[in-house]
Amino acid sequence: MRYRSQIVAYWYFAVAMCLFGLQLVFGLLMAAKYLGPDPLLEFLPFDRAKAIHTNILIVWVLAGFMGAVYYVVPEESRTELHSTKLAYWGLVIWVIMGVTAVIGYLFGYTHGVKMLEQPLPHKMAIVVVMLMMFYNVFMTIKKAKRWTVTEGVLLAGLVLAALLYLPALLRYENYTIEGFYRWWTIHLWVEGVWEMIQASLLAFLLIRLSGADREVMEKWLYVIVGLVFLAGILGTAHHYYWIGVPQYWLPLGGFFSALEPLALFGMAIYAYFAMRRSRLDHPNGLGIHWAVGSAVFTVFGAGILGLAHTWPAVNKWTHGTLITPMHGHSAFYGAYVMIVLAMIVYTMPYLTRGRSESGSTMGYWAFWLQIAGMFGMTLSFATAGIAQTYLERIMGLGYLDTQWEIQVHFLMLVGTGSVFVIGVILFIWDFFRYPPRMDIDPNVPADDRWERNAAAART
Amino acid sequence: MTKRQARWFFLVCTFGFAAIFIALTIHSHTRFPELTNADQLSPDVVAGKDVWHANNCINCHTLFGEGAYYAPDLTKITDHRGTEYLKAFLRDPSAFYSEEKHRRVMPNPELTEEEITQVIAFLEWVSKVDNQNWPPRPILVSGGTFPGTAVAPDVDPTEGAEGLSSTAAEGEALFRQSPPACFTCHSTAPGVNLAGPTLAGIGTRAAQVIEDPNYTGNAQTPEEYLVESILEPSAYLVPGEIYGANGMSFMPNNYSDQLTEEQVQLLVDYMMTLK
Repeated sequence: MRYRSQIVAYWYFAVAMCLFGLQLVFGLLMAAKYLGPDPLLEFLPFDRAKAIHTNILIVWVLAGFMGAVYYVVPEESRTELHSTKLAYWGLVIWVIMGVTAVIGYLFGYTHGVKMLEQPLPHKMAIVVVMLMMFYNVFMTIKKAKRWTVTEGVLLAGLVLAALLYLPALLRYENYTIEGFYRWWTIHLWVEGVWEMIQASLLAFLLIRLSGADREVMEKWLYVIVGLVFLAGILGTAHHYYWIGVPQYWLPLGGFFSALEPLALFGMAIYAYFAMRRSRLDHPNGLGIHWAVGSAVFTVFGAGILGLAHTWPAVNKWTHGTLITPMHGHSAFYGAYVMIVLAMIVYTMPYLTRGRSESGSTMGYWAFWLQIAGMFGMTLSFATAGIAQTYLERIMGLGYLDTQWEIQVHFLMLVGTGSVFVIGVILFIWDFFRYPPRMDIDPNVPADDRWERNAAAART
Repeated sequence: MTKRQARWFFLVCTFGFAAIFIALTIHSHTRFPELTNADQLSPDVVAGKDVWHANNCINCHTLFGEGAYYAPDLTKITDHRGTEYLKAFLRDPSAFYSEEKHRRVMPNPELTEEEITQVIAFLEWVSKVDNQNWPPRPILVSGGTFPGTAVAPDVDPTEGAEGLSSTAAEGEALFRQSPPACFTCHSTAPGVNLAGPTLAGIGTRAAQVIEDPNYTGNAQTPEEYLVESILEPSAYLVPGEIYGANGMSFMPNNYSDQLTEEQVQLLVDYMMTLK
């Protein structure tokens, strides 16, 4: 931490950590509900738990992204933030928005559109907080008169994320058209601009952790983001299968979503070569685990498992089965959860007092238990989904009877989910073990020293 | 590649594909009215969509296969269940399914009669949207088509049936076709009662039913009884609280519009073989 205002990031990350823990309470509850019978049927039925589970995820991942922005922008523009007060107010509004939304869902106060369940005042709050952040960052960069490509891509990603949220504010009478624009937000977020954010955070981390040449990394960042949009924009079509749109969206969806893994493979190769060329002497080995892990898990979850059921002829049978949460859990975890956790692990030695830069044993346990747990959950959903596809869709067994036949996979889901939860508890514990810094400590070495050393060695 | 070229690659991909996407979106809007029968978006259908959202239905069920995966897909539910059945179900789901037997049950959404009518109108509209004929074979809520999954999913079940030696075989193919989707509510396995009673042994049972003093219909022969059950399901209610109430059968009563006389006869020929 070279600038006092970067400490804002700590509080955003702290909020993200609390919400991450809360998200999993509801996740485990839902997994148990698959086993049934459900003692909470009247108080907290599945639909409410699910709305809370997915919404907390969106709220905390975005809080993590915003925290990352407040750390990266001063670092890249080499100046203090324009206003820490504004940044803290943004966080306060964000927390109030998130907490009241969750309480509202508990009592059935919902907009009822999947992932966009937020009632209108909450949606407005999301847009307002985003705008506050842009203003703050814009003024910071304007003051510094200096910005980097990594920072620019990160910000462009967040501006586009806010813009693409706007169709969600409108009301549609036609359910098909509502679905059509719902994906402008959801798909173009997670398979478009959020990937842009992920790629830029990854570039930042790789430059810092491996000392890779910034010019080279930023060049490939352009290529990766170009590939994301080449495939991702028309790839939206794979969500337009079977909802009442013209026929041509089917082949378009098949072709372009099959190209989507290209950018993800690009990202993994990018991380691999950056690390291979580095001298691997950065002390923050745990940060390297999370950064490279994010790139690799994204290829697995978003890339390969997405490809597995994106072709219309396959999707016709798997659509709406447990194959979808198989892909959903692993993709979201690899691409967005892991990159936020990577940013947290990278910045913690600078933002907190008394922490070793090389991470802790508990931190490594947290990493491997989460990876193992999420891998197991993915397999549980996959096996359940494959069985469901054959029994229900192909053989014609009823939905309820099929769910009964695949109970054993839900047991697996609860088991592996519990392993994942232990990993997350360790991560959160490790996060809160050390108090945040209140000021710059001249004894702490600058966090960009590997980048500078490597650059000096090259010239 | 230079950094400058990389930047151009990024800009061209982003803006180029965004432009194509927007053009296709505009074109799609010209097709939506026809594909989604926008002229049938009555106030009831739109209000039904709001009921659907207000009750967070999508976070258990799926519609067009899209939603949560904890409860059955409802895209074609109005093809599989009659309006009276759906009304009775929405008034009290626990009368139809139990946690002990089915593991899951829907909590009572506590809808008003008006809301129930609206949400059913919405689901009726959904079932008619031209969505490339998804799902490729009907997704059942419960029960199953075992035995009798002989019909390959990609093959039109009536295709080739003409060549079979008996009209009963044609009737069986029709029985497994949607519409009329008879098999989504009636099994042909003994003792397997789905939303409707099993048809196992109906060929024999039909004669007993019309002899029964409780029989309220007008049929004189077993064949007439079967025709009557298809076209006027409420003429005689098979005992059982999930089959009907207040003198109204839960079975759809619009088969006289959906089926020709010949098709009804094929179904009867098939059912008479179930002894």
